[in-house]
Amino acid sequence: MEKKSLIIKIVVLVLALVLALLSGIEFWQLRHYKETIVASEDLTEVKWFSDYVPSLKNTWMDTPVFIFDSGVEGGTVFVCGCPHPYEPASTMAAYLMIENLHVEKGKIIIVPRANYSGSTEGMVGDAYPMFFHVSSDWGISQYRIGDRYTNPLDQWPDPFTYVNYPSGQNLAYQDIRNLNRTYPGRENGTLTERAAYAVMEIIRQENVDMAIDMHEAEILYPVTSTYVAPAKVLDRETFLETGEMNYYEPEKSSLDVAMMAGMNLSDQFLMKSASSPNTLHGLSHREWADWSDSLTFLMETPEIFIDKITGPRTEALMTEGKDEFLQKVTDKGLTYFPYDMEFGTPMWYRTGRHLTGALEVIFWAGFFYPEMEVQVTWPTYLEMEELEKQGVDSIGYYLKDPEAAENKDRAFTIYHKPVGENYDKY
Amino acid sequence: MIFFENLIHILYFVMAGLVLLSMLKSLFKRKKNQGVVFDIMYAYCLIPFLLRILYIK
Repeated sequence: MEKKSLIIKIVVLVLALVLALLSGIEFWQLRHYKETIVASEDLTEVKWFSDYVPSLKNTWMDTPVFIFDSGVEGGTVFVCGCPHPYEPASTMAAYLMIENLHVEKGKIIIVPRANYSGSTEGMVGDAYPMFFHVSSDWGISQYRIGDRYTNPLDQWPDPFTYVNYPSGQNLAYQDIRNLNRTYPGRENGTLTERAAYAVMEIIRQENVDMAIDMHEAEILYPVTSTYVAPAKVLDRETFLETGEMNYYEPEKSSLDVAMMAGMNLSDQFLMKSASSPNTLHGLSHREWADWSDSLTFLMETPEIFIDKITGPRTEALMTEGKDEFLQKVTDKGLTYFPYDMEFGTPMWYRTGRHLTGALEVIFWAGFFYPEMEVQVTWPTYLEMEELEKQGVDSIGYYLKDPEAAENKDRAFTIYHKPVGENYDKY
Repeated sequence: MIFFENLIHILYFVMAGLVLLSMLKSLFKRKKNQGVVFDIMYAYCLIPFLLRILYIK
Protein backbone atom coordinates (compact mmCIF):
# COMPACT_ATOMS: atom_id res chain seq x y z
CA MET A 1 0.00 0.00 0.00
CA GLU A 2 1.29 3.42 -0.91
CA LYS A 3 2.15 5.70 1.97
CA LYS A 4 -0.20 8.40 0.61
CA SER A 5 -3.07 5.95 0.36
CA LEU A 6 -2.46 4.75 3.92
CA ILE A 7 -2.52 8.32 5.24
CA ILE A 8 -5.83 8.99 3.45
CA LYS A 9 -7.35 5.86 4.98
CA ILE A 10 -6.17 6.82 8.47
CA VAL A 11 -7.53 10.37 8.05
CA VAL A 12 -10.90 9.02 6.86
CA LEU A 13 -11.01 6.59 9.77
CA VAL A 14 -10.19 9.34 12.28
CA LEU A 15 -12.94 11.54 10.80
CA ALA A 16 -15.39 8.64 11.12
CA LEU A 17 -14.34 8.11 14.72
CA VAL A 18 -14.87 11.82 15.44
CA LEU A 19 -18.36 11.55 13.93
CA ALA A 20 -18.98 8.44 16.03
CA LEU A 21 -17.81 10.29 19.13
CA LEU A 22 -20.02 13.32 18.47
CA SER A 23 -23.15 11.26 17.78
CA GLY A 24 -22.22 8.81 20.52
CA ILE A 25 -22.12 11.57 23.13
CA GLU A 26 -25.68 12.61 22.25
CA PHE A 27 -26.96 9.03 22.23
CA TRP A 28 -25.23 8.40 25.57
CA GLN A 29 -26.77 11.55 27.06
CA LEU A 30 -30.25 10.48 25.98
CA ARG A 31 -29.68 6.94 27.27
CA HIS A 32 -28.46 8.00 30.71
CA TYR A 33 -30.40 11.21 31.40
CA LYS A 34 -32.24 10.97 34.69
CA GLU A 35 -35.49 12.80 35.45
CA THR A 36 -36.32 13.69 39.06
CA ILE A 37 -39.78 14.10 40.54
CA VAL A 38 -41.12 15.00 43.97
CA ALA A 39 -43.78 12.61 45.24
CA SER A 40 -46.73 13.99 47.16
CA GLU A 41 -46.93 13.53 50.92
CA ASP A 42 -49.52 10.80 50.38
CA LEU A 43 -46.88 8.39 49.05
CA THR A 44 -46.88 5.20 51.14
CA GLU A 45 -44.73 2.71 49.21
CA VAL A 46 -42.45 2.39 46.22
CA LYS A 47 -42.08 -0.95 44.48
CA TRP A 48 -40.36 -1.95 41.24
CA PHE A 49 -41.35 -4.09 38.28
CA SER A 50 -38.69 -6.53 39.53
CA ASP A 51 -40.71 -7.03 42.75
CA TYR A 52 -43.33 -8.66 40.51
CA VAL A 53 -40.99 -10.26 37.95
CA PRO A 54 -37.58 -10.81 39.60
CA SER A 55 -35.75 -11.44 36.31
CA LEU A 56 -36.25 -7.74 35.45
CA LYS A 57 -33.85 -6.69 38.20
CA ASN A 58 -30.71 -5.00 36.84
CA THR A 59 -32.27 -4.67 33.38
CA TRP A 60 -33.22 -1.43 31.61
CA MET A 61 -36.87 -2.48 31.82
CA ASP A 62 -37.05 -2.25 35.60
CA THR A 63 -38.94 0.84 36.72
CA PRO A 64 -40.43 2.32 39.91
CA VAL A 65 -44.06 1.82 40.92
CA PHE A 66 -45.46 4.54 43.22
CA ILE A 67 -48.22 3.52 45.63
CA PHE A 68 -50.51 5.90 47.49
CA ASP A 69 -52.73 4.13 50.01
CA SER A 70 -55.25 6.26 51.90
CA GLY A 71 -55.74 3.55 54.51
CA VAL A 72 -59.49 3.90 53.98
CA GLU A 73 -61.18 0.91 52.38
CA GLY A 74 -62.17 1.54 48.78
CA GLY A 75 -61.16 0.68 45.28
CA THR A 76 -57.67 0.40 43.81
CA VAL A 77 -56.66 2.30 40.68
CA PHE A 78 -53.65 1.51 38.49
CA VAL A 79 -52.38 4.23 36.15
CA CYS A 80 -49.85 3.35 33.46
CA GLY A 81 -47.71 6.19 32.07
CA CYS A 82 -45.23 5.92 29.20
CA PRO A 83 -46.23 2.60 27.65
CA HIS A 84 -45.10 4.34 24.44
CA PRO A 85 -42.39 6.81 25.42
CA TYR A 86 -42.83 8.95 22.29
CA GLU A 87 -46.24 9.91 23.67
CA PRO A 88 -44.82 12.01 26.52
CA ALA A 89 -48.03 13.71 27.74
CA SER A 90 -48.71 10.33 29.30
CA THR A 91 -45.53 10.59 31.38
CA MET A 92 -46.17 14.25 32.22
CA ALA A 93 -49.67 13.38 33.45
CA ALA A 94 -48.24 10.56 35.59
CA TYR A 95 -45.60 12.93 37.02
CA LEU A 96 -48.21 15.58 37.85
CA MET A 97 -50.37 12.93 39.51
CA ILE A 98 -47.47 11.64 41.61
CA GLU A 99 -46.39 15.15 42.64
CA ASN A 100 -49.84 16.56 43.49
CA LEU A 101 -51.99 13.56 44.39
CA HIS A 102 -54.16 13.52 47.50
CA VAL A 103 -56.13 10.36 48.13
CA GLU A 104 -58.83 10.17 50.81
CA LYS A 105 -60.33 6.80 49.99
CA GLY A 106 -58.87 3.74 48.27
CA LYS A 107 -55.45 3.21 46.74
CA ILE A 108 -53.66 4.63 43.68
CA ILE A 109 -50.76 2.88 41.95
CA ILE A 110 -48.83 4.83 39.32
CA VAL A 111 -46.05 3.73 36.97
CA PRO A 112 -44.70 6.89 35.27
CA ARG A 113 -42.34 5.16 32.83
CA ALA A 114 -43.69 1.71 32.02
CA ASN A 115 -41.27 1.14 29.12
CA TYR A 116 -38.15 2.65 30.63
CA SER A 117 -35.86 1.14 28.01
CA GLY A 118 -37.91 2.65 25.19
CA SER A 119 -37.56 6.11 26.70
CA THR A 120 -33.77 5.97 26.32
CA GLU A 121 -33.62 6.33 22.53
CA GLY A 122 -35.40 8.13 19.70
CA MET A 123 -37.37 6.64 16.77
CA VAL A 124 -35.05 5.16 14.16
CA GLY A 125 -35.09 7.31 11.02
CA ASP A 126 -37.25 10.04 12.60
CA ALA A 127 -34.92 12.92 13.32
CA TYR A 128 -36.44 14.79 16.23
CA PRO A 129 -35.23 16.49 19.39
CA MET A 130 -34.16 14.28 22.29
CA PHE A 131 -35.76 16.41 24.99
CA PHE A 132 -38.49 18.92 25.65
CA HIS A 133 -38.51 21.51 28.44
CA VAL A 134 -40.97 22.89 30.97
CA SER A 135 -40.56 26.24 32.72
CA SER A 136 -41.38 26.69 36.37
CA ASP A 137 -40.85 29.55 38.81
CA TRP A 138 -37.89 27.61 40.18
CA GLY A 139 -36.21 26.69 36.89
CA ILE A 140 -36.43 24.66 33.70
CA SER A 141 -37.03 20.92 33.75
CA GLN A 142 -35.95 18.64 30.92
CA TYR A 143 -37.79 15.48 29.86
CA ARG A 144 -37.00 12.82 27.29
CA ILE A 145 -38.94 12.20 24.09
CA GLY A 146 -38.38 8.50 23.57
CA ASP A 147 -39.22 5.76 21.12
CA ARG A 148 -42.36 3.70 20.59
CA TYR A 149 -40.44 0.48 21.15
CA THR A 150 -38.03 -1.07 23.64
CA ASN A 151 -34.46 -0.01 22.88
CA PRO A 152 -32.72 -2.60 20.64
CA LEU A 153 -29.70 -2.29 22.94
CA ASP A 154 -31.80 -4.17 25.48
CA GLN A 155 -33.83 -6.51 23.27
CA TRP A 156 -32.42 -7.57 19.93
CA PRO A 157 -32.84 -9.07 17.30
CA ASP A 158 -36.50 -8.91 16.20
CA PRO A 159 -38.09 -12.02 14.69
CA PHE A 160 -39.48 -12.18 11.15
CA THR A 161 -43.00 -12.21 12.59
CA TYR A 162 -44.01 -11.58 16.17
CA VAL A 163 -46.54 -14.04 17.57
CA ASN A 164 -48.45 -12.69 20.56
CA TYR A 165 -48.73 -15.03 23.53
CA PRO A 166 -51.11 -16.68 24.34
CA SER A 167 -53.51 -15.58 21.57
CA GLY A 168 -51.18 -16.83 18.81
CA GLN A 169 -51.99 -13.77 16.71
CA ASN A 170 -49.33 -12.70 14.20
CA LEU A 171 -48.29 -9.08 14.54
CA ALA A 172 -45.65 -6.88 12.89
CA TYR A 173 -42.10 -8.00 13.71
CA GLN A 174 -41.15 -4.83 15.59
CA ASP A 175 -44.18 -5.20 17.87
CA ILE A 176 -42.22 -7.76 19.86
CA ARG A 177 -40.63 -4.64 21.40
CA ASN A 178 -43.97 -2.80 21.75
CA LEU A 179 -45.21 -2.95 25.34
CA ASN A 180 -48.79 -2.35 24.21
CA ARG A 181 -48.72 -5.35 21.87
CA THR A 182 -47.14 -7.85 24.24
CA TYR A 183 -49.81 -8.10 26.94
CA PRO A 184 -50.54 -10.25 28.89
CA GLY A 185 -46.85 -11.04 28.66
CA ARG A 186 -44.81 -13.97 29.88
CA GLU A 187 -42.78 -14.38 33.04
CA ASN A 188 -40.01 -16.07 31.08
CA GLY A 189 -40.43 -14.22 27.76
CA THR A 190 -38.58 -11.40 26.06
CA LEU A 191 -37.70 -8.30 28.06
CA THR A 192 -40.83 -6.49 26.82
CA GLU A 193 -43.04 -9.51 27.49
CA ARG A 194 -41.68 -9.66 31.03
CA ALA A 195 -42.46 -5.96 31.56
CA ALA A 196 -45.98 -6.63 30.25
CA TYR A 197 -46.23 -9.54 32.67
CA ALA A 198 -45.08 -7.26 35.51
CA VAL A 199 -47.95 -4.86 34.69
CA MET A 200 -50.39 -7.80 34.73
CA GLU A 201 -48.99 -8.97 38.06
CA ILE A 202 -49.42 -5.48 39.55
CA ILE A 203 -53.06 -5.54 38.44
CA ARG A 204 -53.63 -9.06 39.78
CA GLN A 205 -51.56 -9.01 42.98
CA GLU A 206 -52.71 -5.56 44.09
CA ASN A 207 -56.36 -6.43 43.30
CA VAL A 208 -56.72 -3.46 40.99
CA ASP A 209 -60.33 -2.46 40.30
CA MET A 210 -59.66 0.13 37.58
CA ALA A 211 -56.65 0.09 35.26
CA ILE A 212 -55.97 3.15 33.12
CA ASP A 213 -53.45 3.16 30.27
CA MET A 214 -52.41 6.63 29.02
CA HIS A 215 -51.45 7.07 25.36
CA GLU A 216 -51.34 9.67 22.61
CA ALA A 217 -52.32 9.22 18.97
CA GLU A 218 -51.97 10.83 15.56
CA ILE A 219 -55.02 12.83 14.47
CA LEU A 220 -54.97 10.89 11.20
CA TYR A 221 -55.70 7.79 13.32
CA PRO A 222 -59.41 7.20 14.05
CA VAL A 223 -58.86 6.26 17.70
CA THR A 224 -57.46 9.64 18.68
CA SER A 225 -59.08 11.64 21.47
CA THR A 226 -60.82 8.50 22.65
CA TYR A 227 -61.44 6.14 25.54
CA VAL A 228 -61.06 2.50 24.47
CA ALA A 229 -62.67 -0.06 26.76
CA PRO A 230 -63.88 -3.64 26.36
CA ALA A 231 -67.57 -4.43 26.00
CA LYS A 232 -66.86 -8.15 26.38
CA VAL A 233 -64.09 -10.13 28.05
CA LEU A 234 -62.49 -13.51 27.48
CA ASP A 235 -63.84 -16.63 29.13
CA ARG A 236 -60.44 -17.53 30.61
CA GLU A 237 -61.39 -20.97 31.93
CA THR A 238 -62.65 -22.18 28.54
CA PHE A 239 -59.60 -20.75 26.79
CA LEU A 240 -57.17 -22.43 29.17
CA GLU A 241 -59.01 -25.76 28.87
CA THR A 242 -59.79 -25.82 25.15
CA GLY A 243 -57.94 -22.94 23.48
CA GLU A 244 -61.26 -21.52 22.24
CA MET A 245 -61.69 -17.77 22.57
CA ASN A 246 -65.23 -17.08 23.75
CA TYR A 247 -66.25 -13.65 24.97
CA TYR A 248 -69.03 -12.64 27.33
CA GLU A 249 -70.43 -9.40 28.73
CA PRO A 250 -68.99 -8.93 32.23
CA GLU A 251 -71.13 -7.86 35.18
CA LYS A 252 -69.15 -4.64 35.49
CA SER A 253 -68.72 -2.82 32.22
CA SER A 254 -65.67 -0.68 31.46
CA LEU A 255 -67.34 0.57 28.29
CA ASP A 256 -70.39 1.87 30.19
CA VAL A 257 -68.08 3.81 32.50
CA ALA A 258 -66.01 5.14 29.58
CA MET A 259 -69.10 6.27 27.65
CA MET A 260 -70.49 8.07 30.68
CA ALA A 261 -67.13 9.73 31.32
CA GLY A 262 -66.80 10.74 27.67
CA MET A 263 -70.28 12.27 27.57
CA ASN A 264 -69.65 14.16 30.78
CA LEU A 265 -66.41 15.60 29.42
CA SER A 266 -68.05 16.97 26.27
CA ASP A 267 -68.24 20.52 27.65
CA GLN A 268 -64.47 20.48 28.30
CA PHE A 269 -62.99 18.59 25.32
CA LEU A 270 -63.90 15.96 22.77
CA MET A 271 -63.51 12.44 24.18
CA LYS A 272 -65.01 9.64 22.11
CA SER A 273 -65.58 6.10 23.32
CA ALA A 274 -64.68 2.97 21.38
CA SER A 275 -65.17 -0.68 22.12
CA SER A 276 -62.03 -2.81 22.26
CA PRO A 277 -62.11 -5.37 19.42
CA ASN A 278 -62.12 -9.02 20.53
CA THR A 279 -59.84 -9.97 17.66
CA LEU A 280 -56.94 -7.56 18.15
CA HIS A 281 -54.56 -8.93 20.76
CA GLY A 282 -51.67 -7.72 22.85
CA LEU A 283 -53.20 -4.33 23.71
CA SER A 284 -53.91 -3.21 27.27
CA HIS A 285 -57.61 -2.50 26.74
CA ARG A 286 -58.06 -6.10 25.54
CA GLU A 287 -55.60 -8.20 27.56
CA TRP A 288 -55.77 -6.40 30.93
CA ALA A 289 -59.51 -7.06 30.98
CA ASP A 290 -59.15 -10.62 29.64
CA TRP A 291 -56.44 -11.69 32.12
CA SER A 292 -57.54 -9.86 35.28
CA ASP A 293 -60.79 -8.82 36.90
CA SER A 294 -60.20 -5.07 36.62
CA LEU A 295 -62.15 -2.51 34.65
CA THR A 296 -59.85 -1.39 31.86
CA PHE A 297 -59.51 1.92 30.02
CA LEU A 298 -57.09 3.22 27.43
CA MET A 299 -57.01 6.97 26.83
CA GLU A 300 -55.71 8.66 23.67
CA THR A 301 -54.97 12.38 23.33
CA PRO A 302 -54.28 14.08 19.98
CA GLU A 303 -50.49 14.28 19.44
CA ILE A 304 -49.72 15.72 16.00
CA PHE A 305 -45.97 15.29 16.55
CA ILE A 306 -46.34 11.64 15.55
CA ASP A 307 -48.49 12.29 12.49
CA LYS A 308 -46.37 11.46 9.46
CA ILE A 309 -47.18 14.51 7.33
CA THR A 310 -46.09 17.39 9.54
CA GLY A 311 -43.39 19.92 8.86
CA PRO A 312 -40.09 19.78 10.78
CA ARG A 313 -40.28 17.78 13.99
CA THR A 314 -39.08 20.37 16.45
CA GLU A 315 -39.48 20.77 20.18
CA ALA A 316 -42.12 23.42 19.46
CA LEU A 317 -44.12 20.91 17.42
CA MET A 318 -44.08 18.59 20.44
CA THR A 319 -44.96 21.23 23.04
CA GLU A 320 -47.26 23.50 20.99
CA GLY A 321 -48.55 21.22 18.24
CA LYS A 322 -48.98 23.81 15.49
CA ASP A 323 -48.61 22.60 11.91
CA GLU A 324 -49.92 24.10 8.67
CA PHE A 325 -49.92 20.80 6.77
CA LEU A 326 -52.22 19.13 9.28
CA GLN A 327 -54.45 22.22 9.19
CA LYS A 328 -54.86 21.80 5.43
CA VAL A 329 -55.63 18.10 5.83
CA THR A 330 -58.13 18.89 8.60
CA ASP A 331 -59.78 21.54 6.41
CA LYS A 332 -60.34 18.79 3.83
CA GLY A 333 -62.05 16.65 6.47
CA LEU A 334 -59.39 13.96 6.56
CA THR A 335 -58.49 13.99 10.27
CA TYR A 336 -60.32 12.51 13.23
CA PHE A 337 -59.92 15.53 15.49
CA PRO A 338 -61.19 19.10 15.00
CA TYR A 339 -57.67 20.47 14.69
CA ASP A 340 -57.19 24.23 14.85
CA MET A 341 -53.67 25.46 14.18
CA GLU A 342 -54.28 28.67 16.11
CA PHE A 343 -54.60 26.64 19.30
CA GLY A 344 -52.60 23.57 18.26
CA THR A 345 -52.36 20.59 20.59
CA PRO A 346 -50.09 21.96 23.32
CA MET A 347 -48.49 19.72 25.92
CA TRP A 348 -50.53 21.23 28.77
CA TYR A 349 -53.76 20.51 26.86
CA ARG A 350 -52.85 16.86 26.28
CA THR A 351 -51.57 16.42 29.83
CA GLY A 352 -54.67 18.08 31.29
CA ARG A 353 -56.88 15.80 29.22
CA HIS A 354 -55.20 12.73 30.72
CA LEU A 355 -55.48 14.11 34.25
CA THR A 356 -59.18 14.88 33.95
CA GLY A 357 -59.87 11.85 31.74
CA ALA A 358 -58.54 9.57 34.47
CA LEU A 359 -60.44 11.37 37.25
CA GLU A 360 -63.62 11.07 35.24
CA VAL A 361 -63.47 7.28 34.83
CA ILE A 362 -62.49 6.89 38.49
CA PHE A 363 -65.53 8.94 39.49
CA TRP A 364 -68.00 7.11 37.25
CA ALA A 365 -66.64 3.67 38.12
CA GLY A 366 -67.24 4.50 41.79
CA PHE A 367 -70.68 5.87 40.93
CA PHE A 368 -71.72 2.70 39.08
CA TYR A 369 -69.98 0.27 41.44
CA PRO A 370 -69.77 1.84 44.94
CA GLU A 371 -67.51 -0.90 46.34
CA MET A 372 -64.70 0.35 44.09
CA GLU A 373 -65.11 4.03 44.93
CA VAL A 374 -61.86 6.01 45.15
CA GLN A 375 -61.64 9.62 46.29
CA VAL A 376 -58.59 11.31 44.85
CA THR A 377 -57.58 14.75 43.62
CA TRP A 378 -54.82 16.03 41.34
CA PRO A 379 -54.64 19.00 38.94
CA THR A 380 -57.44 19.11 36.39
CA TYR A 381 -57.81 20.21 32.80
CA LEU A 382 -59.95 23.21 33.78
CA GLU A 383 -57.46 24.38 36.41
CA MET A 384 -54.65 24.15 33.88
CA GLU A 385 -56.71 25.97 31.25
CA GLU A 386 -57.34 28.80 33.70
CA LEU A 387 -53.62 29.11 34.43
CA GLU A 388 -52.79 29.15 30.72
CA LYS A 389 -55.29 31.97 30.18
CA GLN A 390 -53.32 33.94 32.76
CA GLY A 391 -50.11 33.29 30.83
CA VAL A 392 -48.76 30.75 33.34
CA ASP A 393 -47.12 27.51 32.18
CA SER A 394 -49.61 25.21 33.88
CA ILE A 395 -47.39 22.11 33.83
CA GLY A 396 -44.50 24.04 35.36
CA TYR A 397 -46.89 25.51 37.93
CA TYR A 398 -47.68 22.06 39.31
CA LEU A 399 -44.13 20.69 39.18
CA LYS A 400 -42.16 20.81 42.42
CA ASP A 401 -38.53 21.75 42.82
CA PRO A 402 -36.56 18.61 43.76
CA GLU A 403 -33.73 20.78 45.08
CA ALA A 404 -35.93 22.72 47.55
CA ALA A 405 -35.22 21.80 51.16
CA GLU A 406 -38.85 20.91 51.89
CA ASN A 407 -38.94 18.47 48.92
CA LYS A 408 -35.60 16.70 49.24
CA ASP A 409 -37.01 13.85 51.33
CA ARG A 410 -39.55 13.04 48.63
CA ALA A 411 -37.43 13.57 45.50
CA PHE A 412 -37.10 10.44 43.36
CA THR A 413 -34.80 9.96 40.42
CA ILE A 414 -36.56 8.00 37.71
CA TYR A 415 -34.12 5.44 36.40
CA HIS A 416 -34.02 1.69 35.80
CA LYS A 417 -32.56 1.13 39.26
CA PRO A 418 -32.80 3.00 42.57
CA VAL A 419 -30.73 6.17 42.68
CA GLY A 420 -30.40 8.13 45.92
CA GLU A 421 -31.47 7.34 49.47
CA ASN A 422 -35.18 8.14 49.25
CA TYR A 423 -36.11 4.80 47.70
CA ASP A 424 -34.78 3.06 50.83
CA LYS A 425 -37.27 4.97 52.99
CA TYR A 426 -40.26 3.49 51.17
CA MET B 1 -35.98 -19.22 27.77
CA ILE B 2 -34.54 -16.07 29.31
CA PHE B 3 -31.09 -17.69 29.10
CA PHE B 4 -31.50 -18.28 25.35
CA GLU B 5 -32.89 -14.76 24.85
CA ASN B 6 -29.78 -13.36 26.54
CA LEU B 7 -27.46 -15.68 24.64
CA ILE B 8 -28.92 -14.67 21.26
CA HIS B 9 -28.73 -11.02 22.32
CA ILE B 10 -25.03 -11.39 23.14
CA LEU B 11 -24.35 -13.33 19.93
CA TYR B 12 -25.78 -10.44 17.91
CA PHE B 13 -23.40 -8.05 19.67
CA VAL B 14 -20.55 -10.41 18.79
CA MET B 15 -21.77 -10.42 15.18
CA ALA B 16 -21.80 -6.61 15.19
CA GLY B 17 -18.20 -6.74 16.39
CA LEU B 18 -17.24 -9.13 13.61
CA VAL B 19 -18.86 -6.89 10.98
CA LEU B 20 -16.95 -3.96 12.47
CA LEU B 21 -13.65 -5.83 12.18
CA SER B 22 -14.49 -6.91 8.65
CA MET B 23 -15.15 -3.30 7.62
CA LEU B 24 -11.98 -2.15 9.29
CA LYS B 25 -10.03 -4.79 7.37
CA SER B 26 -11.73 -3.81 4.10
CA LEU B 27 -10.89 -0.16 4.74
CA PHE B 28 -7.17 -0.90 4.84
CA LYS B 29 -6.84 -4.02 2.75
CA ARG B 30 -9.03 -4.78 -0.25
CA LYS B 31 -8.48 -5.89 -3.83
CA LYS B 32 -11.31 -4.14 -5.67
CA ASN B 33 -12.79 -0.62 -5.46
CA GLN B 34 -9.61 1.13 -4.41
CA GLY B 35 -10.92 4.73 -4.62
CA VAL B 36 -11.15 7.21 -1.75
CA VAL B 37 -14.93 7.14 -2.03
CA PHE B 38 -14.86 3.52 -0.89
CA ASP B 39 -12.52 4.42 1.98
CA ILE B 40 -15.11 6.95 3.12
CA MET B 41 -17.94 4.43 2.68
CA TYR B 42 -16.23 1.76 4.77
CA ALA B 43 -15.24 4.23 7.49
CA TYR B 44 -18.72 5.76 7.64
CA CYS B 45 -20.54 2.44 7.64
CA LEU B 46 -18.61 1.10 10.60
CA ILE B 47 -19.97 3.86 12.88
CA PRO B 48 -23.30 2.13 13.80
CA PHE B 49 -21.50 -1.15 14.49
CA LEU B 50 -18.99 0.64 16.69
CA LEU B 51 -21.77 2.40 18.62
CA ARG B 52 -23.62 -0.90 18.98
CA ILE B 53 -20.73 -2.85 20.47
CA LEU B 54 -19.99 0.06 22.81
CA TYR B 55 -23.61 -0.27 24.00
CA ILE B 56 -24.41 3.32 23.05
CA LYS B 57 -26.88 3.01 20.16
